[in-house]
Amino acid sequence: MPIPIAPHSWHRNREGLGIWEGRGKVVATGVGTSPTARRWDEKPETSLGALTILAIRRAIEDAGISPDEIDGIVLTPESTTGVSNDPNSPAPEGWSDVFKMVDYPQAGITRGDIDWLLLNMPELKNVQFKMNGPVCMSVAFTTAAEAVSRGLTGTCLVVRGWHNLAGRYYVGQGAAARDTASGPGKYGGIWGMPACATTAMIFEEYCNKYGKNHDMMAPFVVEERRNGLMNPDGFFTQHRPEMITVDDYLSGRWIAKPANIYDNDLPIQAALAVIFTTPELAKHHKQKPVYILNHAQTRPELQGAIPTLAEWERSSDKMGRMLYEGAGIGPEDLSFENMYDGFTLFHQFHVEGLRFASRGEKRGYALDLYQTDISIEGPNPVSPSGGNNGNGRTRWWHHRDSILQIQGRSPSQITRPAEYGVSGAHMPNFCDALIWGASVE
Amino acid sequence: MAFLISFDIDGTLEFGDPPGGITVEMVRRAQDLGFLIGSCSDRFPSAQKALWEARDIKVDFVAAKHMLPDIRARFVALKYLHIGDRDLDQQLAEKAGFEFLWDHEGVAEPWLAWLDAHAAE
Repeated sequence: MPIPIAPHSWHRNREGLGIWEGRGKVVATGVGTSPTARRWDEKPETSLGALTILAIRRAIEDAGISPDEIDGIVLTPESTTGVSNDPNSPAPEGWSDVFKMVDYPQAGITRGDIDWLLLNMPELKNVQFKMNGPVCMSVAFTTAAEAVSRGLTGTCLVVRGWHNLAGRYYVGQGAAARDTASGPGKYGGIWGMPACATTAMIFEEYCNKYGKNHDMMAPFVVEERRNGLMNPDGFFTQHRPEMITVDDYLSGRWIAKPANIYDNDLPIQAALAVIFTTPELAKHHKQKPVYILNHAQTRPELQGAIPTLAEWERSSDKMGRMLYEGAGIGPEDLSFENMYDGFTLFHQFHVEGLRFASRGEKRGYALDLYQTDISIEGPNPVSPSGGNNGNGRTRWWHHRDSILQIQGRSPSQITRPAEYGVSGAHMPNFCDALIWGASVE
Repeated sequence: MAFLISFDIDGTLEFGDPPGGITVEMVRRAQDLGFLIGSCSDRFPSAQKALWEARDIKVDFVAAKHMLPDIRARFVALKYLHIGDRDLDQQLAEKAGFEFLWDHEGVAEPWLAWLDAHAAE
């Protein structure tokens, strides 16, 4: 039986909904992170599936609970935005010696699969609730938050693994792999735009409108790498412990000017699992519970083939308003922001939509903010996780770090008290985000 | 006057990610024979420098890959060669007036023959 996704009504995607009904009913406790790799070496023990199992076991251990207590899983099945195998490709030789297989031959290889996990994790014997959070782990988080708050699961794993096969990301796949282009791809894909091109165009518009320039991104990129290199689980700490300098950043090759190579995140292989539960059940968990105060969603309302600056600003503004309305807090309450940075050049849209560290400004201030102290030691910690750019491409480092920050155990712990934080992904007009809190007070 | 060799790193040098076929020993041999050597890679320049230092090699240059024209302008050489593993390496090398070798072609160290050819001239 296919694994369902959350009903549309679960997603908080409009204003006027008031305080979230689940506020105070859901907390995060344990966190488990797998090792990282640049690419899969095609061994079963380093596969997406193996990393996911490891992350889940680590999360359960981190929470200090028994696997018996897990009664729900929400998983993001998509495990790349890059190169993937044909869904019907057989598993590599030796795979079945290590893992049991479900009907879907790429389960655990190029796709996450709850049934595959349960088949290969006999210790998870009480899972009753199964749901997919498609596309992005942010959706898995918001789905799990709703599921717990509605009493559909008491102790729920939220899971996402990423694979990265050999070969070049985005090359030879999708429209680029075919002789002809169809669907929406015929309007943009055939011109060979790299993935960051839309972001670059809108960033250019942003700079023109507010009198900013690409060089002003440098302090943010440097700070993100610094934060990422504090994370022992991050790709760069584990494999390339190299600090970037302002000169390095400014010398980067243009991919789609004004987006350079260091504005693009590096695809990696990794998995994360997080335990969501109720405050009552969390009482015996080892880690401090982190409350989910609200979640919200935006989706594109395109007026053309690609979004515009106005649309990104409108959409991220709406996200800020929805999040604060449902959480019952305001931008001044945030101790940090951990919004998505998978292209660094759109991070400021999230920052400004949230009015994070605003001194009354609404738009066009974030790149000026980057010139101030945005470090973890400073008054306005921007992306303390280091994000994708500081840790490798997962779209979940920022969520993970938000939990760890509020628990007081982030490897890049902010100096100011971490009371409330926000994380969300991915694009400014296609985003699922959560407000996290140390309490519901 | 020397010959100049620029190495891409990832997919080309043995310490790249993924590793390539060009060994540190080959690089060292070229340097000992008087070649100007360095790297032009998408790794950022300070990281390239650190990678070479970790292998106790004092390179003549490090630069971002698209800065090959600057390297050509900085150094006077009899020949300029870039070795890499991607179409982009070839494209940027040829645009900058470098000869180009694929990583697997470089494994045979064809540049060593340049010395003999030059000596015979």
